Amino acid sequence: MVVQRGDLACCVRCAGPTSAERLARRQLLKAAVHPPAPGPLGQVRTAGTAAFPGVLTGTVLDTSPQVITICGPDGERRIALPPGAVVWKGRMTDPTALESGDSVVVRTHPGQRSVADRIWANVGRVTGLIVERDRESLLVDVGRTTGRQAVLIPPHALGRLQVRFPRLEPGYLVDFIGLRGRGFLEALVPATSQPAYRASEAPAPAAARGHAAVRVAGSAVWHETTGPADADGVRYPALDPETACLEQPLAGAGCPRLPYLSVGSLLEVRNECTGRARVLPVSGCAATAQIFCDRCVTCGTSPRGRVADLPTASFVALGGDLERGCFNATVSLGSLSPGSGPPGPVAPVSVSSGALSPGPVPTERS
Amino acid sequence: MTSPELPAALWTDLQDVQPPLIAAILIGGCLAKLGRVLRSGSVDASLGPTQLFPLRLRRPLAMLMCAFEMSLGLALLVTMFPVGTRSGAALFAPRAATGARVAAATFFLVCVAALAELRGRRPDLGCGCFGDFSTQPAGWRSIARAALLAGAALISIESPALYLPPRNHGALLFLGVVCAELALIAVLSPEVSEALLRLGYTAPCELRQLPAERTLAALRRSRQWRKHAHAITTEQPVDVWRELCWRYVVYPGRLDGQDAEVVFAVQLKRRRPMVETAVLPLAPDCPAAAPGHPGAAQDRGHQEAMQLSTVVYPPP
Repeated sequence: MVVQRGDLACCVRCAGPTSAERLARRQLLKAAVHPPAPGPLGQVRTAGTAAFPGVLTGTVLDTSPQVITICGPDGERRIALPPGAVVWKGRMTDPTALESGDSVVVRTHPGQRSVADRIWANVGRVTGLIVERDRESLLVDVGRTTGRQAVLIPPHALGRLQVRFPRLEPGYLVDFIGLRGRGFLEALVPATSQPAYRASEAPAPAAARGHAAVRVAGSAVWHETTGPADADGVRYPALDPETACLEQPLAGAGCPRLPYLSVGSLLEVRNECTGRARVLPVSGCAATAQIFCDRCVTCGTSPRGRVADLPTASFVALGGDLERGCFNATVSLGSLSPGSGPPGPVAPVSVSSGALSPGPVPTERS
Repeated sequence: MTSPELPAALWTDLQDVQPPLIAAILIGGCLAKLGRVLRSGSVDASLGPTQLFPLRLRRPLAMLMCAFEMSLGLALLVTMFPVGTRSGAALFAPRAATGARVAAATFFLVCVAALAELRGRRPDLGCGCFGDFSTQPAGWRSIARAALLAGAALISIESPALYLPPRNHGALLFLGVVCAELALIAVLSPEVSEALLRLGYTAPCELRQLPAERTLAALRRSRQWRKHAHAITTEQPVDVWRELCWRYVVYPGRLDGQDAEVVFAVQLKRRRPMVETAVLPLAPDCPAAAPGHPGAAQDRGHQEAMQLSTVVYPPP
C-alpha cells in the first residue's frame, strides 16, 4: 500500500518518481469510475499544455534600453521593451533598472509573445510564522518541507511594514513581498494585514451544514516556485487529514472550511478580477494559507480566507500582479476531459458549474 | 422553604440556590477551558481577557484563572455542608462560607470590568469563559451574565447550609426558582446556541473526517469487493486518495491474463457506503507494471501532469 502518511501525501515535488507518476494517474483512474460530465452545451475541455500563455520566466542575460535577453526553460528569448513597459524591482521603475542576473517574470502583451507588458525582477515572498527575531531580521517558518526563511527588514521599510504588521514577534504571522537576495528576502511590501491573533490561536471555523458550497470564493495568493513539479500545480489549503499534510507548519483551523481534496486532484481557479480561469492539479498543501483569514481587495472585497496558493507564473497568467500579493478568486473541482489525449491547442471554453458536486450517478454500485 | 409568605419564601429560595449554581458554573468554566487546552495542546490557546496582557503574562494568567475558578467552585461547595432536609441549618464554617461567597462576588465584578475592557479593545475576541464554546465576540450578554452572577454571589452571603428541598408544594417553588435562574443565565449566554449547534451537528460529507482504515473495512464488506476479489493480486492497495465525498482505492490485478488496475470508489459515509468499481487494463509500459525505470517514469508522470492542466478563457 502506498502509505498515505508518507511521501505521496506530502506534495508532488517531494514525492519520488514512481509516486509522481502515481499522482498523475489518479485523475485517469477516477475518470474510469466517475466519468466526468461534459460541459455546458456539450463542450468538452481539451487538455492543454502546462506552459502559461503570455508569461515567461527566466534569468536576464543581457539588457539594452529596447530589448532584454532572458534564459528560461525554453532557452534564450529576446523580449522587446516598448515605451509603456513597467518593471517592478522593489518598486515601480523603468526597464533600465534591469541588470544581468536578475530573475524575472515577464507578462507579455496579448497576442505578442515577444513584447513585454510588465516585468517583475527578483520578486520574492515569505509567508509564515515568526520563530526568531533579531534587530533587523526575522527567521520565518514557512512549512515543514521548506527550509526556514531569513527576512531582512531595511530601516526605510520598517515603518511601512509595521503599519500592517505591528507585531513582529515570535508566534505571529507575517506575509511580506520584497526582493530576493542570496538566502534571504529583503521585505519591502506587506502582502496583507497581520492577523490580530498568534498563529496558535487561529479561530475555530464556523460549523457548516448541508453540502459544502459548489464554488468557494476567497483570495488566491502566490508563492515562489520551488521546482518544475510545483510550477505546474496549485497548493490547496484543505488536503485530506488522513494524508497528513506534511507541509503544514502548525495546526491551523482553516478559514473558510474547504472540501477535502488530495494531491493530484484537479482544481479550477478563477480570477474574479480578470475573468480568467485555469484548471490545475493540486501539487501540495498550502501550508500557511489555512491560518490566514484575510480578505483580498484587488477588485472589491473577497470573502475571508485563502483558497489557493499559486506559483508565480500561474498567478501572473491568471492576471494577478505579484506586488499586490493576491486576487479575488473562486475555486471549484476540475475534471479531466473524457478521452483527453496528447497536449493540444488551448480551447476557449466557458467554465462549467456544479463541479464540486458530491459525485456523479454511479453505474455499478453496491 | 418554610416561610408562609410567598415573596419572603421566594427570596429565601433565591438566596439558598445561589452557591451550588455559582459553583457549578465556575467548575464548568474551568473544565471547558481545560478541554480547550487539551484539544489544542497549548495553554497559549486560551481566549478572553488574558489576550489584553503582554505575551509573557498570558500563560500564567490563563493557568491562574483556571485554578482560581476551580478552587472557588470547590470552596463554595464544601462550605455549604451539611446536607439536611431542613432549611436554616447552621454552616460548619460560616466564616469560610462567607469568604468564598465574597470572593466569588469580587471575581465576577472583576470579570465585568475585564469583559467591558475586552469589548472595547479587542471586539473580535470571544470571552473564553467556557473554552471553545465562547468564541463569539464578547457582547453585552456576557457582561450582563457576569454582573448577574456577581449579584447572585452577593445575595447568597447570608444563606444557610445546603438542604434538600421539601416534598410539599414548597418543592415546586424551589424548582421554579432554579429553572427561572437557569433560563435567565441561558438567555445571557451566547455559548448555549453554540452548544446546541454542536450537539446536533454532522459535518457535510465533503468536510467529514473518516479514517482510511474504515473505508477499507467497508470496502471489504461490500458486494463489489466480492465480485472483483478474484482479479486482485495483492493484499494492500497501491494508492488511496480522497476527493470530496469519495475515497478512491486502487489495487493491482489481472484481467484476461493482462495486468490491470481495479479502482474502487467508496463513499465517505459511516453506514452502508456506496461502492463503485472500474477495471482498467494496463499498457505493457505502464508504471504499475514496470516501476523499475524511475527516470522515464518521472518524465512520463510529468508529461501526464502537464496534460491535466487546462486553460479556460472567460466567456465572451
